[in-house]
Amino acid sequence: MKHLTKFWFVLFAICVSAAALAEADLKASSPGIAVLKQSMHARHVQLRPYLDSGAVGVTSDGMFAVRDAGSVPLAQRQEVNALVAAENQDRSALYAEIANANGHPEWQAEIRSTFAQRWIQRAHPGWWVQSGGGWNQK
Amino acid sequence: MLQAVTHLQKQLGQCIQTALYALLLFASIADAAEFSLNIADIAAPDFTARGIVLILPENGSADLRIAELHVQQRGLRNVHLHCASFALSTASMNCHGGSLAQLPGMSLEFDYRFDTGKWQVSAALRNVPGKQFAAFLPASMLLPTQGRLSGTLRISGEASGVAAVAADMQLADAGFSDASGLHAAEKLRGTVKFAAVRKAALWTWQGNIAWQSGEIFWQPLYLRGGHRISASGSFDGARLKVEQAIVDLPEVGRVQFAALWDMKQSTLAECTAHGENLALEKFFADYARPFLDKGALAESHLYGHADADWQYRNGATQSLRLALRDAGIADAEQRFALLGVNSEIDWQADAPRTANIAFAGGALLGVPLGSGQWAVQMRGMEFSVAQGVLPVLDGKIELHDFNLHHEAGYRETGQAGKPCSGCSQDVAWHWQFAASLSRISMEQFSQAAGWPKMLGTLAGRIPKVSYDGHEIDVDGALLFNVFDGTVVATQLKLADPFGRAPRLSGSLTMRELDLDLLTRTFSFGNMQGRIDVDVNNLELQDWQPARFDARVFSSAGDYPKKISQKAVQNISALGGAGAVAAIQRSYLSFFKDFGYERIGWSCALRNGVCAMGGVDDGNGGAYVIVKGGGIPAITVMGYNRSVSWDELITRLKRVTQNNMQAVVK
Repeated sequence: MKHLTKFWFVLFAICVSAAALAEADLKASSPGIAVLKQSMHARHVQLRPYLDSGAVGVTSDGMFAVRDAGSVPLAQRQEVNALVAAENQDRSALYAEIANANGHPEWQAEIRSTFAQRWIQRAHPGWWVQSGGGWNQK
Repeated sequence: MLQAVTHLQKQLGQCIQTALYALLLFASIADAAEFSLNIADIAAPDFTARGIVLILPENGSADLRIAELHVQQRGLRNVHLHCASFALSTASMNCHGGSLAQLPGMSLEFDYRFDTGKWQVSAALRNVPGKQFAAFLPASMLLPTQGRLSGTLRISGEASGVAAVAADMQLADAGFSDASGLHAAEKLRGTVKFAAVRKAALWTWQGNIAWQSGEIFWQPLYLRGGHRISASGSFDGARLKVEQAIVDLPEVGRVQFAALWDMKQSTLAECTAHGENLALEKFFADYARPFLDKGALAESHLYGHADADWQYRNGATQSLRLALRDAGIADAEQRFALLGVNSEIDWQADAPRTANIAFAGGALLGVPLGSGQWAVQMRGMEFSVAQGVLPVLDGKIELHDFNLHHEAGYRETGQAGKPCSGCSQDVAWHWQFAASLSRISMEQFSQAAGWPKMLGTLAGRIPKVSYDGHEIDVDGALLFNVFDGTVVATQLKLADPFGRAPRLSGSLTMRELDLDLLTRTFSFGNMQGRIDVDVNNLELQDWQPARFDARVFSSAGDYPKKISQKAVQNISALGGAGAVAAIQRSYLSFFKDFGYERIGWSCALRNGVCAMGGVDDGNGGAYVIVKGGGIPAITVMGYNRSVSWDELITRLKRVTQNNMQAVVK
């Protein structure tokens, strides 16, 4: 009986969380979201050549990582590191802002994983994507 | 590394000695023109050799071939050492004009005395490819992958181990890289001189590096040639001591230092550094900024020159003396600048000191600041200013009880010296102050801030402004005297002030603003009267409104109330084009001004949409914005209850830019 109660409770929790997430508006807007999107958009122009060359790849949690620093000229390596760090920081901030704009700060983790799948799906052919601990070229 | 070499040398010495005695025995038995000796495998913990053949032709030369050689995880195949002149006796063995097949360009000499155990190996390199030379170096080192090496190397010792090392090398286009690419160099040119001598367990050393050109990336530093360093010190196996070092940093100046490095714990135990007339801009850009995270300081520039004396001991800075000459700091976004700073700062970790800091000027959010002089009390990591004056335009901000201190979050856990992951965010600079603003002209202030020209003064008293590393809080009220009325800002909080999207929240209460001054300032079309404005639950993100409940209404009291036809049109236009046409087509267009009884308008901004209302809630869709009164009277109605905030701002801009065209249908 105890197990049955537990089962129903877990099932209920899953349904509620699924229902809750279904309501999350990923296109929610606020000035904070706008400034983050604008900053990410501006940075993308700088990051694009490194994604194309494979120096930077998309990680399994939808972030960027320096994959092959050796292919970047020495003078630009710190810039690439900084761009990747700033991009990841903005992405995390974006998920928090979207969760806030939805009025549910606790949805951040779910929003992050939904976006992670999107980033990986939208990776251009030729970009490197991390899966199962290794890097694969899309 | 030296210990490993010593250990290896002992093993090798014993192996070679055994092998050579065997050879001598063999030579004495076989009386032939050429001796050839096959030695069985030699195996020791860090050293194995297989397939050893020593050939001694009659001409006095020697050839040693080793099929497989393993030294400290480093494997070499078909090693072939040729000695042009090889001498062997019961007392000694030496090789002159030696060469290794694997390293063309290198000539070797070695000498070994069986009686004393003393030995010496020296090598002269002439344009030896770095990659080939790397094969003979320990794999744990960062090894050259490019370029060429020239110069001399000499290692000597005795039975107890290596006793002296000397190197004088020139690098040409040398390069190295680790697997991650985070520590790498390219096209290095320069000379490296190094000499070390051991007495018992203590090494004394001196070195000299003149790095002429090329580039090094040592995350996060990126440096180019032009550096020189000469240093001397000692090494006792556990601690590396730099007795004196002189470093020339290109375009910065000369820094002298002495240091003690604990090899086992990889920590700096002690350091003193001294520099004179260092160029701060280049120093900060090349050696400090790369270590800073994104933020206001990381995007700042430093200027001017400084003399510096730094003492570091027991894991912390003990004293720092700075003499600043025309120094300055300005952030890249032009939010903050302090320039022409001159000061003698003598900071001590354990003794209170006072620094007089004079500055020539600066800027805050585009508004210029004047010159001043502050007496800063320093007590360790706590800095305070009892009273300081910051001239702003024609007025000033007086600061009282300014306090800045560095608060380490892990102190809260009671585990001194043990940072904890959960509270590391709390390690930050905290500051607070009280201030009074005295009569800053709004006309100058608004122009400097890039706003429309406003009349009036900015004045007020702020009981407390504080920053806890995350958020700036303003206790009390900021008072602005503008438009002949007052604006009081309360409950102001600025979260993430130095981040990408600062978030401001608070409330504004405006009383008895003169509509005449206000409408003239914003070219809205003349209105006369006074209004009150309440803005509650205000939230700005990146200085853009994200949420508020605003209400504009006529002030209480008796005063002339007039509204021009243009203003009526403009108010109507804010609600859309519909109502405008009606005025123009009616007899009302004969009058320039109208009387009114009350003005009222409200906007609740949520998710980019402004829900509007008027003097009262009205019936149904329409609401009264201007309620007519007097002769001739006019009533302006609003019909749209909700409008996009961006659209409203666009309309307002169109109206105030005087290029509004009435649409007549």
